[in-house]
Amino acid sequence: MQTWKSLVAAGAVSLSASLAHAATEIELFFPVPVEGKLAAEMKNLIERFNTEHADIDVTPVYTGSYDETNIKTRAAIKAGRPPAAVIMSANFILEYQINGEIEPLDGLIEANGLTADAYMDRFWPALHGNARFADKVWAAPFHNSTPLLYFNKEHFVEAGLDPENPPATWQEFVDAAKALTVRDGDRITRYGFMLPGNYDYLGWIMTALTMSNGGQYYNAEYGGEVYYDTPSMLGALSLVRDMIFTHKVTPEGVTDGKAVSTAFFAGDASMVMLSTGSLSFIRENMGDRYGVAFVPRNVRNAVAIGGASLMMPKGLSDDQKAASWTLINWLTSPEISGHWSRFTGYFAPNRAAYDLSEMKGFLEANPDAQVALDQLAYARSWFATFNTVAVRKALEDEVQAVMSGDREPAEALAAAQAKADEIMRPYVEQTALKLPQ
Amino acid sequence: MPAAAQDGRWLAVAMLAAVALVWSTPLLWMTVAAFRPQNFGGLDMASLLPDFAPTLANFAEALDSADFARLYLNTLAVCAGILSVQLATVTLAGYAFARLQFRGRDLVFYLFLLQLMIVPPVLIVPNLVTIVGLGLYDTLLAVMAPYFASAFGVFLMRQTFRTIPRDFEEAAMVEGANWAQIVWRVLVPLARPGMVAFAIVSVTAHWNEFLWPLMVISNPDNHTLTIGLASFTRGAESASQWGVIAAGTFLVAAPLLAAFTLFQRQFVNSFLFSGVK
Repeated sequence: MQTWKSLVAAGAVSLSASLAHAATEIELFFPVPVEGKLAAEMKNLIERFNTEHADIDVTPVYTGSYDETNIKTRAAIKAGRPPAAVIMSANFILEYQINGEIEPLDGLIEANGLTADAYMDRFWPALHGNARFADKVWAAPFHNSTPLLYFNKEHFVEAGLDPENPPATWQEFVDAAKALTVRDGDRITRYGFMLPGNYDYLGWIMTALTMSNGGQYYNAEYGGEVYYDTPSMLGALSLVRDMIFTHKVTPEGVTDGKAVSTAFFAGDASMVMLSTGSLSFIRENMGDRYGVAFVPRNVRNAVAIGGASLMMPKGLSDDQKAASWTLINWLTSPEISGHWSRFTGYFAPNRAAYDLSEMKGFLEANPDAQVALDQLAYARSWFATFNTVAVRKALEDEVQAVMSGDREPAEALAAAQAKADEIMRPYVEQTALKLPQ
Repeated sequence: MPAAAQDGRWLAVAMLAAVALVWSTPLLWMTVAAFRPQNFGGLDMASLLPDFAPTLANFAEALDSADFARLYLNTLAVCAGILSVQLATVTLAGYAFARLQFRGRDLVFYLFLLQLMIVPPVLIVPNLVTIVGLGLYDTLLAVMAPYFASAFGVFLMRQTFRTIPRDFEEAAMVEGANWAQIVWRVLVPLARPGMVAFAIVSVTAHWNEFLWPLMVISNPDNHTLTIGLASFTRGAESASQWGVIAAGTFLVAAPLLAAFTLFQRQFVNSFLFSGVK
């Protein structure tokens, strides 16, 4: 009898103890978009969050690339098992809003005693377009990037170019690429310029070139329009074609982003256009042999942002929502934002991160990171439409055909426009073409 | 004439060797790169010649980047689980389609084969909904469940059973065996080459599978090898540490490569027998 009682008592004690410590369990989906031990560092960060927040237990879930994270998140939402927070490619947020699959953050922001304006003011202005639209805040920027022109300083000196004065216009850019290319008879032993041609990356680089050529690329106010068959895009694509086939300073065909940076490290390419997200990795491998510059302009300086934001799917309990919001605020705080930025090369979306002394010291020691930050003043929102991935691929397939010499720019863009319009048709018919009867 | 025949033979060997070299280049590069010191300064990264100072540093980093013991265990469990259930289902279904007489048999069989036409990614959402409904989300069983039945396996077993002369079954029937005994004691032993061929296809496919496990597994403790490998080797926006990628890929591929080398003769015989290529 005695043992029976003590067993019950022990059970009751352990039950109440476990109730007292019942932490809200949530999942964070995170992609690994750049090289380096990012997955390991994300796990460290979340461990730290869990120790600092006894009432929340976050499981960090690796979910592949941006595109795979998108598929997994959508499938999990449809299956009724949404994660509490997702680090989602910033230009995919719009589709979740169109589909009604994510929570607007406005209520939570107000509960913190802030207005939406004051909240968004924490982040760089260039990031607002992909996070706040349709009158609400849908995402919190987590890590962001812009494309940069990386160049090999030693090659510049060798070719008689000034490494302190990198090309700023398309003319200077093409001239430099010609001077930097090394030929052995008909064979090219060193390319003046290389750009990544794989899916996702290619679309982003084309956005940068088109915007530098005065283009808009897409309708930032309405998810049913892209401007593929336009003079600004034609100029950008013709530049790429010319560099490959006329000036012969860029290799023919499609080169993967990884191969582009490897070629840069190996000295096989003198200039490359890659993400700020690669900055830390390139610094590690190139030491002080490289410099960075803005994406060269033809009409104006302009690039699109890249990177990812934190969003909150619908279908969470109130406890989970609160826990998710705590996590989102912690991950986007100046301290964590700055730490992640120094670890990866992405810039910190939270402007206050740059007021911290660690960040000031870091920028002083690494002026290349300052260039990335300066270009932010010219950055714009990232292409986002109904069915973003398919619309993007419609262009990328055609650009790849041009890079392989199978298509001329004008016909390629006409085909890409037709394909994209067809993909967006269902949405357009439900919106812009839905007329009063 | 014999001289000419001899020449033709050498030519054939030379061509086969050339094809074999092309096919084995990725494996060769993987092995060489896995043991090469990290070095972006030189152009030797893509070289197929082994480095003079081989290093295990890449393996150390790869092993340090993921819990390989657990990944191996999970992957083995998934492959073994899928295969054992599949062998039961495809044998029985193959027998039904090969030997039993029932109305609409061929129609049902062709409907079954239609599954081969469906691209698996299309089924991600419906499958996931079913998995959540069954309460299996984020378990290894969920990785296996969609593959318990296999149209390809059923087709293969049906064809295999049909090549076995009916005399064997009739003899067993005369001895008083029922259908289960016929399947288990007569047909299965005779169909072993077909089953081995199917086992290789099944294990290779699920060992290498990436998308479905990524969709259905969230807890890192339940990850399979491919996801573990991807978590530290892939990057869309940046360059890669080729040595670590090669070492990680080596670790993932090694068990299958070793198994194939060990049982090579048996595998080749099975494929020849069953006509799978």
